[in-house]
Amino acid sequence: MSRLLVVDDEANIRLLYAEELADEGYEVVTAAGISEAVEKLQEGPFDLAVLDIKLKNESGIELLQKLVKERHDMPVILCSAFSCYKDDFSAWLADGYVVKSGNLAELKQEIARVLAKKAQRLKADL
Amino acid sequence: MDWECCWDRDVVAQGDCPNIREGDEDLLESPRRRILEKCCDCPNFKRDLERFQASGHPLGPVFSLFHDEYRRQKVQIQSLLSFLDNKSLEIRFLHELGSVLQSSVDLEEVLSVALTAITAGRGFGMNRAFLLMVDHKREHLQGYLAIGPRNYEEAHQAWDEISHNDMDLQTLAQSFRKNKLTAERAKFHDILEQISVPLSATTHILIRALDGKQPMLIEDAFHHPDVDPQFARLLGVDTFLLMPLVSRNRRVGVIIADNCITHRRITPEDMHSLETFTFPVAFAIERASLYERLQEELNRATEAHTKLKEQQQLIVRMEKMALVGRITSSIAHSIRNPLMIIGGFARSMLKNTPVGDPKRNFIESIVGEARQLEGVLDEILNYSDSLYPTKDFWDVNQLVEAALRDSADALNTRGYRIAFSAGSELPPAYIDFKQVSYCLRTILLCDLNATDHERVVDIGTSREDDNIMIRIQDHGRYISQEQLDTIMVPFSSTREMGAGLGLALCKTILEKQGIPLNAQSAPEKGIIFTIALPIRKEEQQ
Repeated sequence: MSRLLVVDDEANIRLLYAEELADEGYEVVTAAGISEAVEKLQEGPFDLAVLDIKLKNESGIELLQKLVKERHDMPVILCSAFSCYKDDFSAWLADGYVVKSGNLAELKQEIARVLAKKAQRLKADL
Repeated sequence: MDWECCWDRDVVAQGDCPNIREGDEDLLESPRRRILEKCCDCPNFKRDLERFQASGHPLGPVFSLFHDEYRRQKVQIQSLLSFLDNKSLEIRFLHELGSVLQSSVDLEEVLSVALTAITAGRGFGMNRAFLLMVDHKREHLQGYLAIGPRNYEEAHQAWDEISHNDMDLQTLAQSFRKNKLTAERAKFHDILEQISVPLSATTHILIRALDGKQPMLIEDAFHHPDVDPQFARLLGVDTFLLMPLVSRNRRVGVIIADNCITHRRITPEDMHSLETFTFPVAFAIERASLYERLQEELNRATEAHTKLKEQQQLIVRMEKMALVGRITSSIAHSIRNPLMIIGGFARSMLKNTPVGDPKRNFIESIVGEARQLEGVLDEILNYSDSLYPTKDFWDVNQLVEAALRDSADALNTRGYRIAFSAGSELPPAYIDFKQVSYCLRTILLCDLNATDHERVVDIGTSREDDNIMIRIQDHGRYISQEQLDTIMVPFSSTREMGAGLGLALCKTILEKQGIPLNAQSAPEKGIIFTIALPIRKEEQQ
């Protein structure tokens, strides 16, 4: 079972993602901000992180940069209410970008795609 | 005594005097005028006078003395008259020249007039004239313009032409400026280009003439101690005039004039006549160049002013747009999150509600409405994005292929088939890739509602003049031209929900980039959209 970390400052969004992704068969851990995310990351490894960009007074991009540096084997999908960050160079560090929508199909597809790609990479490394 | 001449008769008959011709009939009855005008120069009278002298009359030699003196003075008066005639012609010419020079502030006109005056037969009649101008920035005397024939044939042709057209100086100069100036400039380009003397070269004959402010007549140039042999060879004549153009101590230039074709001797009189003419020319050239510079400065200032005004307007517009952008993105953020939570949970509930449950309808409504609101949000955000196109050169076929790939799923599910015929060897188009591909996708997907018609969309790209045309023909849809026109106007959709921005937004986005979107309803063939993408970068607006 793949273990996912969902970082979003909105409690309801965390709840929705946790429910929906659990339904898809993932183990979901949520965090409301950067410090909480860092804490959760220390508790155990994750297969993928879903990251919001606007986190109250913090920036998801900052966390993304940290994750890419320290946990380059863990793919990150950015998930934002804004589509404009797609063109931001820093956002290109992420493995995927999804604009938030009530229809979670796109997010689920993106998670499956990134995980499959990761599995393929691991297989190739072996 | 029997006189040979008829001077002693009061009245003579026609034929008595060999000097009275037709038109002089009134002299026949006027002895006084006849004697003064005709007899004094008549050989018969001369012989009569000799006979009178030989007769030993003491007045004989006195008469001869008077006669000789009278004839000498007559010749002198005639020469003075012709001199006066010449001078009055010259004064008239200078007056004409002066009035043209004084009234013009156009440098090319002044130069044309000056050089025409030097070379025209009615003017100073020189064969050829070169004008060298001082380039004050580079501190050089530089060849600028020349006029005249390069060989005898050409000269002959030009003189023929002039003798056939009786034009005044201004007309002559105007005709020269209109028909010949460019050609003359090109004709002497090689020589003019080689005449470039630094103002500091004070020993050079040109700079000496300029500094001395006095005209110089150079004779035997090939052996002249002060003339650079190379310069003499360049002009190809051994005699020429140097006329410095100086206006209020400011060195304007030098005119070189010569008779390279006729080799007529240049006289000191020629030099003095030209000298009187150089001051107004120098002054006119100086004034015209100043005027030209003033015009340039004025144009620059006007241009800067216009640009500044445009920039100011742009700043105001951008500030407004930035505000719109900030407002829309903040609305998007604050609406999208709750909206996605509502929609997301509703979908989640729908998934877990059994088919027969009466609540299912309500939940479906929530899902549907939330989706529609998200659509509106997308449209508004896309509209605010469209305010800032980022243009570059892109391959149009790749653009179409990418748009087709992105819309393939949606088209397939509706049973549509796409036929794309890519134009070959198309140059890249100057467009905002993201925006144009958004528009293509919207055109492809909006209101696909074909029933049992042929579900084929034809897309073609081709080159037409300075544009690349994308033609999209949808055989499945039938919309009247009126309806189509309504759809193309923003916020006027007949749809009950949504901002109705689809095609209208595309039209706005494309028009902002200067790309026309044309939609034609063809009763037999559905709808034809044509988009003309530019292949050239336009000037910054």
